[in-house]
Amino acid sequence: MIISVENLVKKYGDYTALDGLNFTVEHGDIFGFLGPNGAGKTTTIRILTAIIKADSGNVLIEGHNVFKEPLEVKKITNAFPESNGYYEWMTAREYLGFFANLYGEKTSKQDIYELLEVVGLHGKEEHLIRSFSRGMKQRLGIVRALVNKPKLLFLDEPTNGLDPKGRRDIHDLLINLNRKHGTTIFLSTHLLDDVERLCNRIAIINYGKIVRAGELDRMKGKGTIEDIFFLSTKEGTL
Amino acid sequence: MKTAYIMQKEIRESILTPKGFLWYIITSMILSALSYLFLTNSELSLLDQGQMLYRIMNFITALGVLMGLVFGADAFAGEIERGTLEALFLSPVDKGEIALGKLGAVLTNWGIIFAISLPYLFVVGKGEQNLLIGIAYLAILGTFLAIIFSAFSMGLSARIKSMKNSLIISFFVFLLAGAPIFLSAAQRRTWFGRILDFINPFAGAINTFDNVVIDSQGFSYQAGRVAIICGYLLLSLWFLKRSVSRLEM
Amino acid sequence: MIFLTIIAYYTSASAASRIAASINPPFIQANMGDKITYVGTITNNSDRAVNNIIAYISLANVTPGKEAPLDLEDWSANKAIKVDTILPRGTYEGQWPMRLIDSGSYVAYITVVDKNDNTPLSSDMSHLEIKRILRLNPNNVLPVAIGEPVALGMAFMFVAFRRRKWVK
Repeated sequence: MIISVENLVKKYGDYTALDGLNFTVEHGDIFGFLGPNGAGKTTTIRILTAIIKADSGNVLIEGHNVFKEPLEVKKITNAFPESNGYYEWMTAREYLGFFANLYGEKTSKQDIYELLEVVGLHGKEEHLIRSFSRGMKQRLGIVRALVNKPKLLFLDEPTNGLDPKGRRDIHDLLINLNRKHGTTIFLSTHLLDDVERLCNRIAIINYGKIVRAGELDRMKGKGTIEDIFFLSTKEGTL
Repeated sequence: MKTAYIMQKEIRESILTPKGFLWYIITSMILSALSYLFLTNSELSLLDQGQMLYRIMNFITALGVLMGLVFGADAFAGEIERGTLEALFLSPVDKGEIALGKLGAVLTNWGIIFAISLPYLFVVGKGEQNLLIGIAYLAILGTFLAIIFSAFSMGLSARIKSMKNSLIISFFVFLLAGAPIFLSAAQRRTWFGRILDFINPFAGAINTFDNVVIDSQGFSYQAGRVAIICGYLLLSLWFLKRSVSRLEM
Repeated sequence: MIFLTIIAYYTSASAASRIAASINPPFIQANMGDKITYVGTITNNSDRAVNNIIAYISLANVTPGKEAPLDLEDWSANKAIKVDTILPRGTYEGQWPMRLIDSGSYVAYITVVDKNDNTPLSSDMSHLEIKRILRLNPNNVLPVAIGEPVALGMAFMFVAFRRRKWVK
């Protein structure tokens, strides 16, 4: 397995964000991570990507302990966070080049061009990011998350704000990454259509605990994905 | 190496920009006005050369400290508010390396201010016997002060996570540090003035400039003050390290 | 009573005639920023030594409309001299170097104080005329004062031009 989470606990003062979280993700999964607002999805991703520490529990990413070897984990993973800001004074090429350097990746102009082409931003290399639309910035952010060719890619609401064509392009990109390159994808989203189209396994989190997990096809046998979600989370607020 | 990339990005973001350059043009214009005033105005021009040099050195140091505080306040809080810090934390770069890169950019800014001020120092201090030694002390102590105040401001920025609040506190610290300038010679001789002078690294630096440039005193007289400044240097770097290591999104 | 009055008068007269002070040169014409030196001569006209004399220089601004005593802080570092002993019929010469800070008409004089006397003694006044000179480019400041902001301005334009990217 590529991710192993055991008894993960995270508290913010008196508030318990994660209350003994347990789940695993296998190599090659497109893993859907669902839950209502405030369930603990973003906190989970931040712990798995070694941005924040947990109060207790164990997390292994490709055999590396996230708390003891954060830099090793960061070398093989990457993420597109929900609130991704950009260095708007940079061009797209400068932005990707900067992050590539931080990952120790040598990228030529051709490499950058190909990366941008993947998300339909070819021809925009020398444009300032401040001139990009929201959707274009989103796509650039996803490309940034691919700059180190990660084994494990975390995506937090990657298709928010995209038009239907944009969403479809991202779906195709993720499927391609997964099938052609074997990238494991950890997808946190509210959009159940995205989950249905992309994911083979899901976990549903509520009040900091996994309430449902397993293969999507098997779970769908018992109802639609909406039914599964609302039943699992009871309130079912999105 | 990654520190260098961070530093390069910071320099390009803050210094090698039209806005960044505007700061330097304004600095240069103020120094031009000061130098011209000192050298041509009827009463000011007849100040002792050493006095003129000393006053310009104080202004340059104060400017370096102020810009260090402003840059420092933006270092982490600004990135959090702009939403860019998370992507930086996702990359395999140690938080200490990020802090070092940002500190490097602040020092680069100080280096530019120092380089801009050199021609003015040479013109105002022309013929003054302590010109070169004064410039050497300005280079060293000015650098130390730039590190002290910007490291402190960056640490504050990492802890408070609000650029507005860390700027306010940084300005307050700047006023406290600059208090010796506002006190008269008599007030500085009171117990309060003496304590302020003793514990204040900025006061330590300007008193050193006074002793070296105006009174021609050697290093042995400055050793105590320089030691205190070095102590603050270590303290501020420790504060920055602690603050950044605890920083979480 | 008459006897005491005579004695008192004699003492004052003795003080007045015992020490004499003079200042040289009697007239100076100079420019702002110049350095000059006054020489004050204190003469002991008596048959006894005089001890612990204090002599100091004073300046007064007599420029029409600006008459006022002058604070010599920036002009001179050593305004007062203490003389331990002047031998009988001896003289003492003191020097008062000065930097001429401001233009105008001034008078300078030396005052001598002997604590054994009631009356301080002043020399005649020396007249001092200081001319204001206009210095447009002292220390060659202008090339730097004008040149550096211009150079930085050009660098600013270069940076701004280089960073101009094609924006949609």
